Amino acid sequence: MTNKWNLREIVLMAILGVVFAVIYLFFFTVGTGLTNVLTPFGLGPFGYEVIFGIWFIVSIITAYIIRKPGAALISETIAGGVQVLMGSPAGPMLIVSALIQGLGAETAFAATKYRNFSTGVLVAAGIGAAVFSFIWGLYHSGYLALSLPLLSSMLIVRVISGALIAGLLGKWITERLADTGVLRSYALGKEWQSKREHKAS
Amino acid sequence: MLTSINPTMKAFAVLIPALLLAVTYDPLTPSIYLVFTILVTFLFSKVAFKRWLVIFSPFLLLAVSFAWMTMLHPSEAFSGGDVLFSIWSFQVTSESFWAGISLGLRSLSFAALSLLFILTTDSTKFMLSLMQQCKLPPKLTFGILAGYRFLPTFRYELQVLRQAHRIRGVGRARGMKERLHQFRRYAIPLLANAIRKAERVALAMESKGFTGEPNRTHYHEMTIHKRDWVFVSVFFVMFFVSVFLSYQLGFLNIFGKQF
Repeated sequence: MTNKWNLREIVLMAILGVVFAVIYLFFFTVGTGLTNVLTPFGLGPFGYEVIFGIWFIVSIITAYIIRKPGAALISETIAGGVQVLMGSPAGPMLIVSALIQGLGAETAFAATKYRNFSTGVLVAAGIGAAVFSFIWGLYHSGYLALSLPLLSSMLIVRVISGALIAGLLGKWITERLADTGVLRSYALGKEWQSKREHKAS
Repeated sequence: MLTSINPTMKAFAVLIPALLLAVTYDPLTPSIYLVFTILVTFLFSKVAFKRWLVIFSPFLLLAVSFAWMTMLHPSEAFSGGDVLFSIWSFQVTSESFWAGISLGLRSLSFAALSLLFILTTDSTKFMLSLMQQCKLPPKLTFGILAGYRFLPTFRYELQVLRQAHRIRGVGRARGMKERLHQFRRYAIPLLANAIRKAERVALAMESKGFTGEPNRTHYHEMTIHKRDWVFVSVFFVMFFVSVFLSYQLGFLNIFGKQF
């Protein structure tokens, strides 16, 4: 899969994976804090659900910049792997969870044959990651033992979080980056520049 | 001992039982595995108990929180049995109680397995072993290792950025709106710098003759020995031992089905 990529894109993907691994680890503590507040009501794990979208964001950012098959999947998996390197207490299982989330985002991009990167598709990628990670949670975290109303509200919260935080915030961050001009040699930067030239003329 | 096991094999040794444990919904199977993992951790490595406990304790809280949620909101398959106690408008039955305990213990045994890996594995060796044993492309491996090496640099850059803002009279953010603005002021330059670095690293790698050929020679050879296979098999077999034990004692429950 990585044969068609040039080294610059691969290293970019790796470094974005590293940067977002730091952010992911930080949000793990944020989630734990929220969980503490919600625990007495028996809704503790919702602390993670509301911010779950942050854990998909690197998929959306990288796919939006590089626009090649596999960008969403591989970058998310790298971010998971780097968290393991940094000593995340979630351990090697994090790589598997990240792979599944990345697969969810990748599905949305693959459905458009990697041609369409509009807001709608980016949001769909965030939702795809949320749905895939939820199905994984049904098996792995034992959500199967939870009641249906609770499960559906968890899913809804996670999907909204994926759409807003991963989809919209991811798009916003990437476009601010494109504005700085550092992405000039990648697919998004090229499109951005031609748009700007178009506007100027 | 544990530090000398091949990192990839060790990762599989902790992954496989964690994947399998997810099918059990009784309290005994995960507890047997939890005890086994903790024993292996302290018998075969020099991990300090205090350090282990510091990392493990947040998981205790998460486990309790998740168990509590399961007890209050069980699915139909787990809501049978006598009512043990009721709180607010919730009734906790014996089945939901034990399902909650089981899920809590499950997440604890996942955590213990992860710690066994994290506390005894060198991260560079893990990456090198992934490249040599799992055929991870060298381009990716060295890209990740280069990025990993930049972590301290990122921290330094954040510091410089903060000082640069302060010296120009940008104060600390107050309120939600200013915080958001501050987030943008820090996040975008940091990310832009990271992207520039990625470009430079890629150029440096190419100019020094790095082609990313998969059949290359390695300075640090990572190898798999017989004892690595033994290690993985012990962790694999131990899962079936704990399932068998809880079956013998009449506890075993797979996906809500009592055996």
